[in-house]
Amino acid sequence: MTAVRVIGATKSFGRTRALDDVDFEADRGVSGLLGPNGAGKTTLLRTVATVLAPDRGTVSLLGRNPDRPDERTQIRRRLGYLPQEAGFHRGFTVFAFVDYVAILKEMTDRRARHDEVRRVIALTGLESVSGKRIRALSGGMRRRVGLAQALLGDPELLVLDEPTAGLDPEQRLRFREMISEAGEGRTVVLSSHQTEDVAALCTRIAVIHQGRVRFVGTPGALTAQAEGRVWMDAQRAPTALAAWRTGDGAYRNVGDPPPGAEPVAPTLEDAYLLLVGRPELEVVAS
Amino acid sequence: MTEWHLDPEVVRHYAAGEVGPAVAASAEAHLMACAACRGQLASTVDVQRAAAIWRAVADRVDMPRRGVLERLLARLGVNDATARLVAATPTLRGPWLLAIAGVLAFVAVAAHADERLLGVFLVIAPLGPLGGVAVAFASGLDPTREIGLATPYSGLRLLLIRTAAVLVTTVPIAVAAGLALPGPAWLAAAWLLPAVCLTSVALALTARLRPVVAVGAVAAAWLVVTVTTVLNGHTRALFGAGAQLVWLALVAAAGLWLVGRRNPLTIRLGRSS
Repeated sequence: MTAVRVIGATKSFGRTRALDDVDFEADRGVSGLLGPNGAGKTTLLRTVATVLAPDRGTVSLLGRNPDRPDERTQIRRRLGYLPQEAGFHRGFTVFAFVDYVAILKEMTDRRARHDEVRRVIALTGLESVSGKRIRALSGGMRRRVGLAQALLGDPELLVLDEPTAGLDPEQRLRFREMISEAGEGRTVVLSSHQTEDVAALCTRIAVIHQGRVRFVGTPGALTAQAEGRVWMDAQRAPTALAAWRTGDGAYRNVGDPPPGAEPVAPTLEDAYLLLVGRPELEVVAS
Repeated sequence: MTEWHLDPEVVRHYAAGEVGPAVAASAEAHLMACAACRGQLASTVDVQRAAAIWRAVADRVDMPRRGVLERLLARLGVNDATARLVAATPTLRGPWLLAIAGVLAFVAVAAHADERLLGVFLVIAPLGPLGGVAVAFASGLDPTREIGLATPYSGLRLLLIRTAAVLVTTVPIAVAAGLALPGPAWLAAAWLLPAVCLTSVALALTARLRPVVAVGAVAAAWLVVTVTTVLNGHTRALFGAGAQLVWLALVAAAGLWLVGRRNPLTIRLGRSS
């Protein structure tokens, strides 16, 4: 059984088509959705989190159909979700807020619920601020609170929308560690527009652009797409899709190399640029 | 190091939690100073009981002090989980309640100067609770709506809990303001059934419309009907004894509709649009 299976999902908001015939699968481990802002990542993740129903297409989560209310409830009992802009009751303390979500997750026994709240607070390193009001926390700490509530009940499917957005480098590294640990033994689907996060965490990537899936495969397979299409030069090449001056003064060019150019090893970011910079290019690798 | 040690029987009863506070305090004072007796206690104590006590202590230490509202609800016998859900209702915040109290008090006081404002009070009083229900479910005002949608908790149950909380807090405010009205005493409560009716109809319409839209439609219909009637001086036609029976019948009908439509309503509230 594949934990997440989305087939032909289409979703429009007014005249904007957020998802256009999207196929997506994810299983045990960390899978990433990569794409620019407005690409459709959040719409797809909200679908996987059972919050949104597609206009067309089928969705199967943990072997169940989220369109059926009883099965949707069963999925939600095994699901953790961190929305892109996770809201908080800012007057609540960290403990009280996580406890509030635990109540919504049907943890009725007070003692057992508090044990679980303490567990996820410890997992996310929030013990020292457990009694603090959320409005007094930094953005990074609030993101941890969001992750803590998503981890309640040890869910089999964890959906994280831009988990590292707005974090400083140290916080991002700490988050990577937490997500990596969370990905052991369960299915984690996350979105990001940070290629480094995806490269560091994900065993499988889907690149989404303008509501369509442009690539599905491993980070290595995506990087390989840019082989021979990245080169250094003393100046910006006119044929380059993107070029920037590096620290040593040379230009890193990404695109169609001119004759005689000497390719350098591409990165995931180079391949991503090539893909979203050329929407007509659609690649599906294994 | 003391030469005196606890009697093994005392240790056994202490470990089982079977001694009185005085003996317990005495035993604890000795245990703090005597490693031999602590060792004897360690071999006697029930591991499960010790774990349970530790959990209770940790719970007491970790659990932050509950807010005023949650403590009040606990005193009224509401369980802690429901109290927390109620405390998270956006419209149970001070500014919202103060705004309702302020508007109604102003109109009630102003009615002493101009009795035509009596009708205005009756028209706007039911809108306080109704607006509270709408705001409690406005997606922009409930910061945790997205997280809540992905949980298994029933959206209908949450709607009803929050609606009850809004009514319980806003109705007394409106009643208090109503008592300041000039004229017959029945006016202070004449808006009550219409308020419950409007809220019930709005809840029933939620099976077809988003909560905010349902409340908006009901409020608009209420204003259209009441403003012209009250302006024409037919206040009793809407709030008199006969009219109250009609409101009661409408409350019952909306309640029955709500019960009958609870499944589609649950489905509708379970997802974003």
